[in-house]
Amino acid sequence: MSNAEQTMDLAAPNGFNWRPYIVRAGQIAFAVFLIWVWKAGSQSAGEMFVADPFKVWDRLLKIAASGELGHHTYVTLKISAIGFAIGCFFGVGLPFVLRRLPRFTDAIEPFIMASVGVPKYALIPLFILWFGINDAPKLWLIGLLVFYPVFIAIFAGIRGVDSRLINMARVVGASESRISREVIWNALLPFFFSGLKIALPRAVSAAIIGEFLVGNEGIGYYIEHSRQQMDVTGAFTGIIVATALVLIVNSALVYIDRKFSAWRPTDRHMEL
Amino acid sequence: MSVLLEVRDLAKRFATRAGREPSPWIIQGLSFSVNEGEFLTIIGPSGGGKTTLLNMIAQIDAASGGEIRFQSQLAPINDMKSLKPGLNCQIGYVTQEDNLLPWRTCLENVLFPLLVQGKLNDETRARAQTLIRAVGLAGWEDHYPHELSGGMRKRTSLIRTLVYDPPVILMDEPFGALDAQTRLQLQDDLMRLWNLGKKTIVFVTHDISEAIALGDRTLVLTRQPSSVAGEHRITIPRPRDIRGILTHPEFIELYQRIRAQVQ
Repeated sequence: MSNAEQTMDLAAPNGFNWRPYIVRAGQIAFAVFLIWVWKAGSQSAGEMFVADPFKVWDRLLKIAASGELGHHTYVTLKISAIGFAIGCFFGVGLPFVLRRLPRFTDAIEPFIMASVGVPKYALIPLFILWFGINDAPKLWLIGLLVFYPVFIAIFAGIRGVDSRLINMARVVGASESRISREVIWNALLPFFFSGLKIALPRAVSAAIIGEFLVGNEGIGYYIEHSRQQMDVTGAFTGIIVATALVLIVNSALVYIDRKFSAWRPTDRHMEL
Repeated sequence: MSVLLEVRDLAKRFATRAGREPSPWIIQGLSFSVNEGEFLTIIGPSGGGKTTLLNMIAQIDAASGGEIRFQSQLAPINDMKSLKPGLNCQIGYVTQEDNLLPWRTCLENVLFPLLVQGKLNDETRARAQTLIRAVGLAGWEDHYPHELSGGMRKRTSLIRTLVYDPPVILMDEPFGALDAQTRLQLQDDLMRLWNLGKKTIVFVTHDISEAIALGDRTLVLTRQPSSVAGEHRITIPRPRDIRGILTHPEFIELYQRIRAQVQ
């Protein structure tokens, strides 16, 4: 049982539980405060540097109505999704292959771990040099940024599968493929999701960075293009859209994770 | 009564790892047999290779020597690759830890062996429900293992093995980690279930009273390398009262005899 449920159980006999509402009211007050700070910052620094929050809101409505917002969001989401799928495919698949090759794994592990340390964003110029000015360098960047957290999570997860559970399943007559599907896969799921929680926001940010440099559509392009036009309001609007995108993608992930892992004794308050 | 399971001259030492001496012999020259429908209890010092012995019988660990026969058939125990864990579902194994699948509810865990054996039908489902009720888990079927108490998890793992009815069941100190009260309750449950089906059971424990209270026969193992130090037939008539047995005159005599043998 999560802490929230416990508090509610304890609070119930005393009557109405105000706690969640107090938290919600605090959140709204804090949001208003942040917007005020933003507005004050914009006034003191000048709208040349910090856009006015209300003008950003107007711009948001305007580009939503003109279809620009939908188009750029679609482009960014699409490239993130494809790059994410590629990164995930290798990030999940490779550990399963390496599981069958323990000696090979021992041999290449230090090299894999060394490659984790390579700053991926620093490779963008090379990717552009190698793959040209199109979607390919973006996909490489996104793919790599997604691959590592997923790979590391799944790799650790496979090593951590309880061999006693596997033995139990064998004794009661489970086939090897049943064991992969039932025992290993389920034991991996929490690791997989924690990898995804890092990888998904990264995919979106990587797409945006790719769009700064290459191409003429997408949220990243919109931000960079606005900056070049000295349109600070446009740049701020783009950032707000990108942030919203990451938040939406993340909450979708949290929702799916919750559906899949009702069995886990986690404290729900710890979730991101 | 016919011999169902026979262990002869069994030996075990763990494999060499690079740059290390091979482990000392854990088990050497261990021989015994189990009759059909017999409740055999095995008692021995801790760290004496009891779990290793059961792992070898259950075919999840290879032996370094000797043989195991099941229904006079030789089991392939001499190399890791040819092992057949559970010997085609003929040997059930209740391990020391409950080893429940944490993503399956209590009921789903009990049904798991039936599912993987393709034996899930209305009749076996009903059997699972009967067992769940028999051990007092009714109402907890939809709970995940982390929502159950230690005793409930133990019961779940016990009936997960009983549900598919293997001819032999190995039990490795199944009640070792429980408090005295829960343990008595579970011993009671086990006796009741055993009386219904008269399964062949090999029950390993380090508790002399438990060995006497449950068994038809008790084997005492020596220190490492373990072999059989002695054998005691438990003639206390059944059905036994697990709680009252401690004061039975025969119990006291047996206890002292076994006590003297356990090193």
